[in-house]
This record gives sequence, C-alpha cells and structure tokens, in this order.
Amino acid sequence: MRNERQHHKNRNNMGKRLMGQFIKGILFLSICSASLLTFFIWSAEANQTNPMMPPLLEGKARDCLECHRYPNVETNAGAFASQVFCLECHQKDSCTKTVHKEKVSLKIDPEDIRKGRHAFVGCIQCHTDVARSPHQSKEGAQCLSCHPFHNGAGEIHAPHLRVRCQACHTVSKFVYLDKESNEVRPAHTNDKKMPIGLTDHALQDTDRADFCQRCHTQENKVGAADIILPSKSFICIMCHDVSLTMGGPVFWVAFILLVIGILATVHFWFQGSVQGEEKSMHRKIGFVSESIWGTIFSSDFFTILKTILLDVILQRRLLQESVKRWFIHSLIFLPILFRFLLSVFTFFVSRIGPESSLAVILIDKNSGFMAFVNDLCGILILLGIVLAALQRFIIKPPHVIAEAKDNLALLLIGLLVFLGFLAEGARILMTQLPPEAGLYSFIGYPLSGFLSLTTIQWTAVYPYIWWAHAVVGAIFVAYLPFGKMRHMFNTPLTLLLNYKMK
Amino acid sequence: MTTQEKQPPETFVRFSPLQRLLHVAVMIGFTGLAITGFSLKFSDQWWAGGFAWLVGGAGHLAYLHRFFAVITYGCVLVHILWLFYFKLVLKGSITGPQSLFPKVQDIKDMFQHMGYFFGKRRIPRFNRFTYWEKFDYLALFLGMNTMGLTGLFLWFPEFFSTLLPGYFINLAQVLHLYEAILAVALKFVVHILTTHLRPEIFPVDKSIFNGKTTREKMMHEHPGELDSL
Repeated sequence: MRNERQHHKNRNNMGKRLMGQFIKGILFLSICSASLLTFFIWSAEANQTNPMMPPLLEGKARDCLECHRYPNVETNAGAFASQVFCLECHQKDSCTKTVHKEKVSLKIDPEDIRKGRHAFVGCIQCHTDVARSPHQSKEGAQCLSCHPFHNGAGEIHAPHLRVRCQACHTVSKFVYLDKESNEVRPAHTNDKKMPIGLTDHALQDTDRADFCQRCHTQENKVGAADIILPSKSFICIMCHDVSLTMGGPVFWVAFILLVIGILATVHFWFQGSVQGEEKSMHRKIGFVSESIWGTIFSSDFFTILKTILLDVILQRRLLQESVKRWFIHSLIFLPILFRFLLSVFTFFVSRIGPESSLAVILIDKNSGFMAFVNDLCGILILLGIVLAALQRFIIKPPHVIAEAKDNLALLLIGLLVFLGFLAEGARILMTQLPPEAGLYSFIGYPLSGFLSLTTIQWTAVYPYIWWAHAVVGAIFVAYLPFGKMRHMFNTPLTLLLNYKMK
Repeated sequence: MTTQEKQPPETFVRFSPLQRLLHVAVMIGFTGLAITGFSLKFSDQWWAGGFAWLVGGAGHLAYLHRFFAVITYGCVLVHILWLFYFKLVLKGSITGPQSLFPKVQDIKDMFQHMGYFFGKRRIPRFNRFTYWEKFDYLALFLGMNTMGLTGLFLWFPEFFSTLLPGYFINLAQVLHLYEAILAVALKFVVHILTTHLRPEIFPVDKSIFNGKTTREKMMHEHPGELDSL
C-alpha cells in the first residue's frame, strides 16, 4: 500500500516536473525565436535606410545647410522659410525645363502665392517628392494629403475618382487621359502643342461651373460624357452609393410621390379602429405606439427578430409553399436587399471617413469588390425576372396568375437592371477602362467589348442611357407605395401583426 | 378587496411613447456629444486618445460630434413641435400645475422639502413634476438651445462672422466649453442621482423607459397629481 502511494506520488511529481520542463522549453524557444525575429526585422530595417545623399555628392565638400535645411513647416515661419528656399530659383525667368523639346517655364510669382489660398503652406508640404537630389517631381502636388475628397460630399467625386484634382482646380484648361496611370491629368501642352507653364499655381474659382466643359464636350479625348449629368439622386440609394442631393426635377417628383404614397398607406392603415378606438387619430396613434414600445422592450423582441429573419428575409412561408416560387422570389429580393444595405452602409462610411480606403473602395464603381458585387446582384435579379417571365408566359402552370400589376413590377425591375448593365458597358467602353480594372465587371466588361463592335460615338449616347436608367429608377421609386411593390411594406407588417395576434 | 388573488398593480401612464423615445434619443445623443466633445477638448489626455483611436481620428470625432448634435437638437425641435401640438390641438395647459412650467409653489416646496430633511416639516405634496425634475428639464431645454446656438457659431464661423463681430466666435468657444462642463456635471451627476438614488426608488427608476408608474408610487411621489385625477 505504502509503496503504491509512494509510486503514485512519484508519478505525480514526475508529471509536474515534466510539465514544468515543457513550459520552460516553450518559454526558452519563444524567447529565442522572438529575439531572432527582432534581429531580422532590425537588420531588414537597417538595410532599408536609404542613403539620403546621392552617390554623386558623397565625398565632396558641401555645405550641409545648403541642402539640409528642414524648417518646421507646421509653423508660419517654417512655411515661409520653405517657400523662400524654393523661390531662390523658382522666381527667376531662367527657371525652365524641357518637355518634348519645348521649354516650359517653372517660374512662380511670389505675389501669387501671397494672395493665394496656400500662402501659409510650405511648397514641400504638397510637393512631397521634390526636396531631393535628382530634383524632379513624379507625383505632382498631393492635394489629398490635406483635403479629403470634396469634404465628403459625394456629389462629384464618385465618377471623378480617376481625375486628378488639378485637372479641374487649376486655371489651365487643357487635360489629357494618361494611359499609364489611368488618370485624367492637366496637360503639359495646349491644343496647338505649345507648352504650358507647369507652375501655374492659380487655383480655379470653382463657383463658375465652366471648368466642367474641359472634359464634358462633344468629341472629348478623355472619355467623358458629352453632357454634364447630374449627381446620383438620393432616391437611387436603393442600389447605389448616393449623396444628399436630389439631382433634378424628375427625382423630386418621384420622391414626393413616394412620400405621399407612404403617408396615404399609413393613413389607410389608421382608418380602422385601434383597440376599440374609432374616431380620435391621436388616441389611435397613442395606442399603436404604446403597443410597439411595449413589444420592443419585452422578451417578445427576440421572437420578432426571429420572425424577421425567417419569414421576412429568408421567406420561410414561401419556401413551404413552393420551392420554385421561393427560388425566383429570392433571386430578385435578396440581391436588392443586400445592395440596399450596402448602399446605406456606404452612405455612412463615406460621410464619417471620406478619406478612408474603405470609403474609396465602396464608392469606386471600378474597384474590384464593387464591380463584382454590382454585376453579381444585377445578374441574379435579371435571372429571377427571366425565370418569373418564363413561369408566367411560357410554362403557365394553373396556379400562377399573371396579373397586370405584377407584370408591370417585374418589367420595371428588369428594365432597370438591363439599362443599368447597358450604362455600365457604355461607361467602361467610353472611359477606356484598362482590362485589369474592368475584369471584375464580369458582365459590364464583356458587354463593353460587344458594344465596341459598333461605330456609335458612346460619349454622345451614354447620357441618354444614363437618363433612361435614371428615369426608370425614378418611376420604380414613385411606384413603390402604389403598385405591386407595396407588398414590401405590407407583408412584413402583416407577418408581425399576425405574430402579435397569436 | 375581499379576494386574496394577486391583482396586477394599478398602473398610470407617466410618459407617452414619444416622450420615452425622445428621452432615449437624447440620452444617446447627449452621451455621444459629451464623449466626442471632451475627447476633442482634452485631446492631450490618455482617455481622449483612446476614444479618438476608437473612431479613427480627430476628424471622425468632430464628425460624430456634429452627428450627435443633430440628433440631440432634433429631439429638442420635435419636443417644441409637440408642445405646440399639445397646446393648440389637444388644448392642454403648458403652464398649469401638472406641467413642467416653474411656479412660486416650487420654491415653497423646495424650502419645505429642506425642512423635511432636517425633521422640522412634513414632506410637500408634489404635483406631477417635482421642483428638481422641473429644474432638470429646464436646464436641459434651455441649455440645449444655447449649446446649439454656440455650436452653430463654431460649425459655420464664416457665415456667422458676416452677421456678427468676430469675437462672437471666441465667445462661443468659451461658452460652449463651460456650458458643456456644466451640463455634463448636471446630467451625469445630479440628474442620475436624484432619479435613481432616492431611497424610495433605489436602485433604478424605470418609469422613463416603460412609461408606467403604480398607484403606490404615485401616492409617495406625486400625491398632488393623484388627487387631481
């Protein structure tokens, strides 16, 4: 007995010792690997420190301060010191450079800077890559390091993500499409091939809208639409990222009809009696809001969440009825819902952080993610519409009744998506999107290839396609509370009320 | 009551759903304003850095501050509209004894209440709103308007300096800060303490959230209102 206990104790001790050794070993190994990792990172960092001095200058007698003045440009004094340093050369007439065998003036009038908006900004704060030994700028002025895209107002920047700020905001009115960087940039030469002073720092007064006509003219070379189109209206939030603008009278009419329709529907709902109250609207609304409040702040809340998830989003009741109908309905409904939620998300992201990379990706129609999502949603909806049309007009099972109201709703959605794809194809074709960027638009890009077989001037046709798509969209939105699409509001409400009755 | 069955206690509606909704919205908006505003003002403190990091920088803090300001002031506007509706359509009284309008009786109530604390006098018979509740309400209602005005000065300084002398912007800066400190101190200390930490209601008064109060509570807290029903 005693031996056995001793043995047991020994075994326990041994287990403990082993465990201790194991922990020690792990600790030792992790310390070793961490120090090794640190060493590697450190040595990699050490190798990365670029020699600031170009090899040419090394070993030669140079006044350090001749080059290495680094004023604190965050202060006015520092900004002026930085300006003075640059203006030492750049205010002379002899300051030129040669582009395409033409002399381009690089002279800056100091008075212009004094009067301008950027009087208290050091040159090197925007021209970040010039203060170095091969003295040339590849990047140009970095407007976006201080300014967000149009202060977050999405009206103008979403279609102009490939346009350099300077193309609109400087006085020189000549622009070109740079194939290499895939951007519209201010040109070095004017229409007579004469060079333009690159240091034209005067900023354009953007209150005058005529700078739009630099690109948006007939037969422009940069792939802009011939006509200046309005920004996307707020009512387009159903499927697109939008700004808080209405865009035009068409959209105003649609929006007002939508609001009237919703108000009329709510008014209709309140025609009946609420908990025995027949007359007073005030008391009816009071009863309803009391009931809603009581339901939300009770344990029923989770049951309602379940109802919304299963019956509203996943359409359980329809699935129980017929898998085919559920499939067709989901093909149309789920992409629209997803795209709508994504637009709402984009709306808030692009307002809270317009400069964030997430916002830029969500706004940019050519970014891989958005191009793919848009095309996928569109093709799924279109597939659903085609299947529904087959069911209604070709197969015609006895239980399917093709009401005119339903057909109109399906036609509107189908037309909307079809025109959307057409507009996308025309846009990709006319803006000359490079294949590596267009690849993700797996419907729009092949479509643009197909469209390129025609000899139509797409920059002239695009505005009409855009307007057709927009008008169908406006009709769709205005029609929401009146026609078949009313079921988007009615059915979930009925489901919830049914649940409440139980 | 002869039957020994347990009856649910008789309830009275103390706050309408709109008032509950506005209270929740102002709660969220005001807390958001306090967090974002103080994180901006005391940006050298470690906790301010934490909040700034959480939302992604000072610019976002500023955006969220304006966002919460719009929510909070929107509630004030809805409340003002409701007051008009109450007065004109429902023909209610916004200055009567059951309203939040301050009266001489409130000052008398306050002195009587103080006397009660020292065991000298009986507890006053409070109406629908007690003097400290009226004070809370008026402090927020007036405070939100002045904060909104100074906030607008700071939001659109270019516009307001075309109407007013430039030093109004500086004034707005000072007033906005000190009134913010005052409001936050009042709401997060006095308001919460006087509602939840009274012995008769401790630990929590739920009537602003579910809108209901019982006959027993009414008898203790608002006997004047119970008499008038």
